[in-house]
Amino acid sequence: MNIYVYTIRRSLYVIPILLGVSMMIFFLFNFISGDPTSILLGPHATAVQMAELRQELGLDRAWYFQYWDIVKSAFTFDFGRSWTTKQQISSMLSSGAIPSMTVSIPAFIISTVLSISIALLISFFRGGWLDKTVVFVCVTMMSISSLAYILFSQWFFAFKLGWFEISGYENGFPDFVPYVLLPILIWVMMTIGPNVRFFRTVMLDEVYQDYVRTARSKGLSEYYILFKHVLKNAMIPIITYVVIQIPFLILGALLTESFFGIPGLGSMTLDAINGNDFPVIKAMTILTAVAYIIFSLITDVLYTVVDPRVRLK
Amino acid sequence: MLKQINTLLVTTIFLFFLLGGCAKKVDPNVKVLNFVISSKVKGMDPVYAADKYSNNEIARVYEGLLEYHYLKRPYTLVPNLAASMPKVSADGLTYTFKIKQGVMFHDDICFPRGKGRELEAADFVYSIKRLADPKLQSLGWWLLDGKIKGLNSWRKKYSSADAADYSEVVEGLQALDKYTLQFKLARPFPQFLYSLAMPFTFAVANEAVTKYGKEFLNHPVGTGPFILPAFEQSNKITYVKNPTFREKLYPSEASEEFKKLGYLADAGKRLPLVDKIVVKTMVESQPRWLNFLKGKLDYISIPKDNFDTAVIPGKGISDKLAKKGIILLITPSLDVTYTSFNFDHKLFQNKKLRQALSLAIDIHKVNKLFYNDTGLPANSVIPPGIAGHIKGFVNKYQGPDLERSKKLLAEAGYKDGKGLPELVYETTASTTARLQGDLFVRRMALIGVKARIQQNTWPEMNKKINNRTAMIWGIAWSADYPDAENFLQLLYGPNRAPGSNKAGYNNPAFNRMFEVASRMQDSPERTAFYERLNLLVAEDSPWIFGVHRQSYVIKHGWLKNYISSDFDSGQAQYLNINLKEKIKKIEVL
Repeated sequence: MNIYVYTIRRSLYVIPILLGVSMMIFFLFNFISGDPTSILLGPHATAVQMAELRQELGLDRAWYFQYWDIVKSAFTFDFGRSWTTKQQISSMLSSGAIPSMTVSIPAFIISTVLSISIALLISFFRGGWLDKTVVFVCVTMMSISSLAYILFSQWFFAFKLGWFEISGYENGFPDFVPYVLLPILIWVMMTIGPNVRFFRTVMLDEVYQDYVRTARSKGLSEYYILFKHVLKNAMIPIITYVVIQIPFLILGALLTESFFGIPGLGSMTLDAINGNDFPVIKAMTILTAVAYIIFSLITDVLYTVVDPRVRLK
Repeated sequence: MLKQINTLLVTTIFLFFLLGGCAKKVDPNVKVLNFVISSKVKGMDPVYAADKYSNNEIARVYEGLLEYHYLKRPYTLVPNLAASMPKVSADGLTYTFKIKQGVMFHDDICFPRGKGRELEAADFVYSIKRLADPKLQSLGWWLLDGKIKGLNSWRKKYSSADAADYSEVVEGLQALDKYTLQFKLARPFPQFLYSLAMPFTFAVANEAVTKYGKEFLNHPVGTGPFILPAFEQSNKITYVKNPTFREKLYPSEASEEFKKLGYLADAGKRLPLVDKIVVKTMVESQPRWLNFLKGKLDYISIPKDNFDTAVIPGKGISDKLAKKGIILLITPSLDVTYTSFNFDHKLFQNKKLRQALSLAIDIHKVNKLFYNDTGLPANSVIPPGIAGHIKGFVNKYQGPDLERSKKLLAEAGYKDGKGLPELVYETTASTTARLQGDLFVRRMALIGVKARIQQNTWPEMNKKINNRTAMIWGIAWSADYPDAENFLQLLYGPNRAPGSNKAGYNNPAFNRMFEVASRMQDSPERTAFYERLNLLVAEDSPWIFGVHRQSYVIKHGWLKNYISSDFDSGQAQYLNINLKEKIKKIEVL
């Protein structure tokens, strides 16, 4: 199938998925979540005020009007204003996405490239002491909780050694750089363990294939085989693993943002959940769903680029 | 290819770290206050100033008619934008204020030629109508609900309209001339003056509201000592000194306790005393603690996890911190923590049962485990520091006394807990809240009462409390203003949930006495009423009283004039920085 036709067809899947997501949001908000008006008005709220606020927020209208509002915002991306901060949600999203991405994107790139490089290296020395040591270190790193990484690094590298800022954030390049270095380092430390193990497994799957044996019998160097054949053939699981993580990069990392005072989308989402700020929760859910659909599509299209045997149907 | 990517990556990392080394240094020639808050500020519109953090930020930019004297305790109201305290009519219903002349709003593009205009009495009329505007759904309407003549009708009239008409005259809220403002109350409300020291009623300019519309909350234009050019939902807010701030001087009078501690060193100096304020949001306690130790914050409340490092019980600040010039300030807070019963459950209408459960709780253990032993066990609802608190009074139902608890449980008809259904303690999902619930369950087991914890998100728990379906829950109340009425109203029958009386306690004797006391002006007679109410509540045990917390704040020696206070909005203008001391100390931190 033509790549354009496939893309259009897959893009149309957005419609039923967004309708489903809207339904789920509506259900969760109306039947599971608490009454937002008492949270929003605080401890002095009276029944009259709560009724007035319900009317103001449109919560006293019939369910199908409320559901329609969610559907409409899912397709127009007009999420209105936050109930708690009264800020325009679009501006909250744009001002939160950049700080989140200044940490997550460099960390993601460094972690991915470093992990693939290490995985290739230990595949080259598979079964040797280097391989075993790296696997041991990776498993150890995976066993440590993210909170431990954050607390220790903040205390040791930033406070004791003074190499980094303890916390904070400044808008604009290069002002933000000193503040994101340690969060990036921590992110890399937290993700490199599972990444290396995954990529190593993928590489080793390929290393034992017949075509590798054939290449070796032809006298090609191990280096050439790894880079020109093994890496290329291992790309499909790598792409799946890597690209599908991208939508979540926008959301940032909740704990890291919280400990380092980075005003990203992760902390914004948490505030919204705690404050029953439905419009913000709705916006984040819908955007995550859309981003997930888009990056799934990109993953599929990339398959055909890296492996001509893959056909889009 | 991968080799090239790796080279690029290494270069990028190197450059990144190089830029990282270019972190900004503190300017030694500018007096900057470095503050921290643990929750994000929601916006800069006074009508939404419902939480302590928003309150403080708003009060740096905006001002009200009255304020608390910075150096007097008990808390005393003094004029701020008012020229003097108001004239009050004999029936206590009419308050007439003269406002200060020559007070200017900050320069802003909302005014002609960008120059701030003079504040007028009409600005207060406008600002208070905003508080009542049904379209704005202010968080402070409770403060004036039913209290100003004609204001409720005005609000009601526009509740279904597209917009409220601010030009319509409200009988109880009028500007008699450019500098005279008159309030007529619908009923006696002696606490009214406290409302005028709260940010909800601070003066805003209608030009700014009109110009910025819904974005007004991001464009604060007040008369206050500091200017915030634009507010962003970020983790950092930077204020600069208002160059057109009127001549306001540091107080020359103080309570003895402050005189002794040298708080009058800056007496008579023009405010504000610093050039800039930087407020950072740090939700987690570790970064707050580490940044403070590095001298990047001027003061912090001691985080629970670092309490033992900072404070030696019975002695004060630890030697390690004292050597760094760090000072500890301990101040009782006007608050009370408590475990509430839901009176909608018939079970809790049994007074002896409530008293028995109260006696089973080990308040000293609660204090030690959850408040680092810094709280003062609460014997009733009114905290020390305000009229109505009875010094030396000991509640005879305060635990732990398991023997009496068991005896009262038997008298209540539930010997050894038999016949008593399982009690459900509602709590939020935080670790501390869960541990508090665990302790409650364990203490109940000691008298044979079965109990369990039900964890909720805060919205869920709030819903249960307001719907009156929660059985027992732990909570706290901090004063909105320094008057016992603000605590006693939590138990006034007609305020039952979803109002502020979440327990639903409804004692006709209490209600009658509260109605009389709450309409009385401050006097020994009113204090006597408050004390009787306090004793009545202690006997009735509608709650299990917890503690009155104390604030434990540490500050660097270079921060001058800092006082830990329950009503510290507007405080920044009085603070000073000893730059020489700061430069010297910060090098060794």
